[in-house]
Amino acid sequence: MESLEVNFQIYHYWRSKCAMKGEKMMQKLSDNILDKLSMDFLRNQVLKNAYGNDDTFIAKLDPRILLVWYLFFALVPWFVDQVPFLLGAFLLVAATTVMARVAGLVLALFVVGVFSQTGYLFLVSLLFGGNGETIFPLLILTLKVATVSLASVTVFSGLDPDRLSNGLMWFGCPERLSFSISYAYRILPMLMEEFQNVLLSYRLRGNAPDGSTLSGKIRYLIYQIKVIVHAFYPLMLNTAKRSRTTVEALELKGYRNAATSPAVKKLKLSSLKIGYDDMLFVAVSFLWMALTIFAAFLFR
Amino acid sequence: MNVIEIKDLTYTYPGASGPTLDHMDLAVEKGDFLAIIGNNGCGKSTLCKIMNGLIPHFITGDMEGSVLVDGKDTKTMSVGEIAGKVGYVYQDFENQIVRPTVLDDASYACMNYAMPDYLERGRKALRQCGLEGREQEYIWQLSGGQTHLLALAGAVSLEPDVLILDEPIAQLDPRHADLIYGVLKNLNEKWGKTIIVIEHHTEYIADYCRHVALLKDGHTEWVLPSAEALRRVDELQACNIFPPQVTIAAHQMKKEGMLADGMTLPTTLEEGKKAFGHLFFRRETLNLETKKENAAANKKTAADGNLAAAVTPAAKFQNVSVSYRAVKGEAKKIFRNLNLEIRKGEKIALIGSNGAGKSTLMKLMTGLIRPAEGEVWLKDRSIRDTKPEELSRTISLVYQNPEEMFIKDSIESDIAFAMQARHAKDWQERTEALLCRFRLSELKDRDGRLLSGGQMRRASLAIGIALNPEILLLDEPTANLDIATRKEIMRTLNEMKDITDTVIIATHDMQLVCEWAERIIVLCEGRVVADGSRNEIFGNREVTERTGIRPPEIFDMGKILNPGAFCYTIQEFRQQFGCGCV
Repeated sequence: MESLEVNFQIYHYWRSKCAMKGEKMMQKLSDNILDKLSMDFLRNQVLKNAYGNDDTFIAKLDPRILLVWYLFFALVPWFVDQVPFLLGAFLLVAATTVMARVAGLVLALFVVGVFSQTGYLFLVSLLFGGNGETIFPLLILTLKVATVSLASVTVFSGLDPDRLSNGLMWFGCPERLSFSISYAYRILPMLMEEFQNVLLSYRLRGNAPDGSTLSGKIRYLIYQIKVIVHAFYPLMLNTAKRSRTTVEALELKGYRNAATSPAVKKLKLSSLKIGYDDMLFVAVSFLWMALTIFAAFLFR
Repeated sequence: MNVIEIKDLTYTYPGASGPTLDHMDLAVEKGDFLAIIGNNGCGKSTLCKIMNGLIPHFITGDMEGSVLVDGKDTKTMSVGEIAGKVGYVYQDFENQIVRPTVLDDASYACMNYAMPDYLERGRKALRQCGLEGREQEYIWQLSGGQTHLLALAGAVSLEPDVLILDEPIAQLDPRHADLIYGVLKNLNEKWGKTIIVIEHHTEYIADYCRHVALLKDGHTEWVLPSAEALRRVDELQACNIFPPQVTIAAHQMKKEGMLADGMTLPTTLEEGKKAFGHLFFRRETLNLETKKENAAANKKTAADGNLAAAVTPAAKFQNVSVSYRAVKGEAKKIFRNLNLEIRKGEKIALIGSNGAGKSTLMKLMTGLIRPAEGEVWLKDRSIRDTKPEELSRTISLVYQNPEEMFIKDSIESDIAFAMQARHAKDWQERTEALLCRFRLSELKDRDGRLLSGGQMRRASLAIGIALNPEILLLDEPTANLDIATRKEIMRTLNEMKDITDTVIIATHDMQLVCEWAERIIVLCEGRVVADGSRNEIFGNREVTERTGIRPPEIFDMGKILNPGAFCYTIQEFRQQFGCGCV
């Protein structure tokens, strides 16, 4: 949605400047693509992914139910080869992914990840004397990978970090792990902002190579990578300085006390309740999968 | 009854050569509103950590003497037990917040101490701190002042008797500062909490605090009722603490015989009305001043008239609109059709409440943010297609947080970095000269992060002007500094006037605005609502009320005494109201 909006703005800008030459417009476009991959954009996507979709049907489900559900879709596809079953499972997780309103960046990464994996396998198989037929088993593999990935995306991105960590805690994961998950999401935006500012310091004071020619572009890329690596050092020091307060504050807020106290764990988990929606979700998933199994038998 | 009693306390940090607190005694009465003041490094923050038990339970070191909280020795209590009696809000309070949503953070401590009604307690604390209705919001949706209130609510939720706040309003605009102190007053009066603040803003001490404790070299010099404490002008100034401007003005006038010898010095505007009420306003001095200002303005407009056709402005905003991506829902619009011209050589102060768009305006000029619509011009070219790297040759930005400017491991190499990168010929001499000019020569091998607040600011200023930029942008150069350091930075900025060309400072610090700026631009909700000289801005009631900006106290004092007065400094006040010769 959001990228649409940005594009809309760009479009408006173009229309007002319609006298501009096409060549220049192309350059504008590439500039804007680069702009989109800024730290600011990443920060926004991380936040969106974690908390921007907390009002969806998926986000309101009980995390324990979702984790069990996930276990099924993460394991079973590996052991099944029936196309109808796999296709059914894929459609279901695709539907849940849509329902969870996953952030655009995560989906883009998913698409690139899955298809680069199998795409390169296909190329390799061609190289070793494969032909068009090799593509069929590869498609099945792709379907499996896609199903498992989308199931993970639904659960880990659709749930907000706190509910996820509560769910994990119920299954006996240590309290420290669940705190780390939610704290990482709390601190990550801050870290990214800080990193962005340090990077800007480099950009504003450094002297970037001219990027107009092709070799210049390569040099510019190398320069940028170098700056990113360099920027980690001040980032770490600044973070260390900040975290002193956080560590003391956690101590005052009784974090150490809570980590060992069973009473606190019980208190935290008391907020988990299985409701009507959870039942519905399980029932629909179950029925749908039963249907696909039935279809798989029919087509055998 | 004393809720905190410190007896003969000596504390040395591990590895430190001498004690930070040295035979300190302090008793805090239940229900008091106490301000702790003192020089930098006199042990104020250490004292706070002693009172909330972090020392000795979390930070070790050598501790002798006793600290009683509610009659119990802190050594025999656990940190949790003490946290239930003494709440603490840090100066860098945003690092104190560990949970993503407001209610979550406010109730987090209660949950950790296994209180079954933790959510209810969190809600109550939020109510007490004026954050009702924001329970489900995410912490990054809050403004600076609200974030501070949330940190306070996190401490209040455990229902402690004592609340300690370390410089609560250092980063806030006056409206938010009033909000914080209003909440503290309410907690003190309605809920019976004992409040202890470390505070440099003596105007707030005069208005809100009941007692003042002066710390000096690790011990308590005295504890006095606040009005009495603030009247000790000479003694406070010797410790680098500046009493309210009305008090200083009266003190100086008393010395010069303009006020009666036996009078008590005023500490608030109310008292000032009585103390200065009989003084005669000398309109002719004002006329002199305004004439000077008008003459300067006339000269400028004349020059503008002559040159307007020939000279392009240093920077220009043309119908600029900017919006930020939001986590949820619509993008947030910061600017809508902003138009602004900045002429070469101007010294501009950019003011407005937190979130009015000051930083965004600066980032637009450096090319770090691109406008969604409209154009930003630097001199005669639009910067839409220019990379920030290229612009950095003409424009330089000094961040609000100096730590983010330190990218090397010593300030010398930090200052030299930009010149080296550009192969400036005389970079060595120039670095040397800058170090000398900003009094950093002795610190040149230190990492910037490890310097004191004032030194860090000076270093960041030196980095900012290293490339001799045509336009220098400073974001809050005096934020988070104690008053003595602030004065020092203000002096540095005034000295810099001859070596810089166009300078824009974004700030809440109205003393800086009044003493330094030649032109003031007021931003409010993404629009320029006022633009002009200080008389035009602060003399315009509508503007000050609408935007929440507040002139220095002495200006208000002058206005109360005579609506025609315009005094921005104590010296001007004395000129306009003193009956002796000038």
